[in-house]
Amino acid sequence: MVNPILLIIVPLGTAFLISLTASFLKNSTKYLALLAMIANVWVSIKLLPAVMQHPINVVIAGVKPPLGINLFVGPLGAVFSILISAAGLLILLYSFKYIEGDSQHKYYTLFLLLITGSHGMILTGDVFNLFVFFEILAISSYILVGYEGKRNGLEAAVKYLILGSIGSILILVAVALIYQEAGTLNMADLADKFGMIDPSKRLMILVFFITGMGVEAAVFPLNSWLPDAHSSAPSSISAMLSGFVIEVALIIIVKFVYSIFAMTEILGFLSLVAVITLLVGEFAAYKQSNIKRVLAYSSIGQIGLILFAMSLNSTDGLNAGLMQIINHTASKSILFLVAGFLIVRTGSYQISDYRGIAKKMPVSAFFFVVGVLSLLGVPPFFGFFSKLSVVMAALHTGSVFNTVMVFLVLLGTIIESIYFLRIIQIMYNREGDVGSVKEAPFLPLLAIAAFTVVILAGFLVLPQITGYTGSVASEIVRKMQMAQVF
Amino acid sequence: MNGVLSISTVLNFGSAGLIVLGLYIVFTQKNLIKMVIGIDLAETGVNVLLVSTGYIKGNTAPIFSKTGLQVSSMVDPVPQALVLTSIVIGFGVSALALAMIIKLYEKTGTLDTSKIRGLKW
Repeated sequence: MVNPILLIIVPLGTAFLISLTASFLKNSTKYLALLAMIANVWVSIKLLPAVMQHPINVVIAGVKPPLGINLFVGPLGAVFSILISAAGLLILLYSFKYIEGDSQHKYYTLFLLLITGSHGMILTGDVFNLFVFFEILAISSYILVGYEGKRNGLEAAVKYLILGSIGSILILVAVALIYQEAGTLNMADLADKFGMIDPSKRLMILVFFITGMGVEAAVFPLNSWLPDAHSSAPSSISAMLSGFVIEVALIIIVKFVYSIFAMTEILGFLSLVAVITLLVGEFAAYKQSNIKRVLAYSSIGQIGLILFAMSLNSTDGLNAGLMQIINHTASKSILFLVAGFLIVRTGSYQISDYRGIAKKMPVSAFFFVVGVLSLLGVPPFFGFFSKLSVVMAALHTGSVFNTVMVFLVLLGTIIESIYFLRIIQIMYNREGDVGSVKEAPFLPLLAIAAFTVVILAGFLVLPQITGYTGSVASEIVRKMQMAQVF
Repeated sequence: MNGVLSISTVLNFGSAGLIVLGLYIVFTQKNLIKMVIGIDLAETGVNVLLVSTGYIKGNTAPIFSKTGLQVSSMVDPVPQALVLTSIVIGFGVSALALAMIIKLYEKTGTLDTSKIRGLKW
């Protein structure tokens, strides 16, 4: 059996190794990052079948929980580890040609720290440890947003940093209150003891925690940083931030609400917030003329959709939300990665400057169309099945509130299709001429193609995927118990 | 307690005050450096809250400094470990924020968020 702690140690250790060896390895440090990511993918794939049998619990430094720190890997941890490391590996391959300049080792160091933070947040079994990994993730993403050192990037990074710090302060307040009231920091132990806390204090902890984590998960109205940060970052980083970082924060909120705090009465409020997030994101995306801002606002819309599915208080809803996360990771990564080379080749962020670009960059344009169609939920792409299951899960609850919400969600999808199809129409315009523009290099296209395969072939392995997401969903719904973990 | 405020109450109210004050500064000030100061204040407030959770009246520091010290006469060491971590993280974030603000100042020549306006604030 492989030890899940490798998922955290390998990228963290390699990040330090890269900064140590950067002076003589120069830009070859990227191959170290590649090795680390391949190892991560291998470990996470090995982990999945083992975890499906029985959750793995790793005690760190020999002190047994609840006093010590542990990693807890259930189906949720395994599935998200695969998502993070696979998307990370492909985006790393893309970065090889996309990131240029002499100090690339800084990029790869931070890249691996971002991966470390994401894995840590998903796998840890300790509330304070969660905060530490959250900070690793947040700090590395602040720097990566401003990596190019341009004015917009720096401004977005500072804005992200200020809002993100407020979020982490609120999380820390929640952690302090948890320790004050429950006397434990272990998640399973906390789940046992949380019910004994005074109800008003329980609500206070929940509000602090959700608000703090909601900043990173870009839930309305805490998402004002996202359009700037995701649109000003290098495109590979935008793909990571949109592809799994906000989803990791979101799944932590969902996990706490269901299986640790067990306060499902808040879910009605969350689904209202989710639909508002979705509509705000889609309407704002409609008005944008900068391609990366369109994609960033569309991410807000998608986060709304995922949160809506996950706050239905049913296993079906959670399952649908997880499928939508997989779909969003693949399709939004494609869109951001293609947009990266559209911007490099034309030197413009404006959609109107891409008139007729499909003639010059046919492969990129094709991938873009596939990404869009899957995001919109057109059959037979994977997005169709995930969106269908969201709608079905909502209608199955049978409540009038959810039915109304589904209509609003579908309204959001219509707006989404209007602005995305407008972009495609401009790209495939016959009269347009973008001058002498070259197709993107082979390696980035290969990485994008791998994401496309997930979307195109997703429906062939649909039963397997729903099998895994189903067991993740049933893990989240079940309340965590100390006895069951140890 | 003979009607006098206990230390825990003072610490709780003090930390809440620091957090509110810090967040108020972040939301009302336009100067980026002042916003960082606000974040630092709020972080200090959280650190005070963390330390106060482990406080037990009349007990001593959790170090076996002289013989005969009992565990039951010590304060809870866990929050102190947490607060050390939290201080280090807070220091790192502030240093990073100031470094980024210097870079931003080099590009824009101002620290006023209402004048930077490359993006919407």
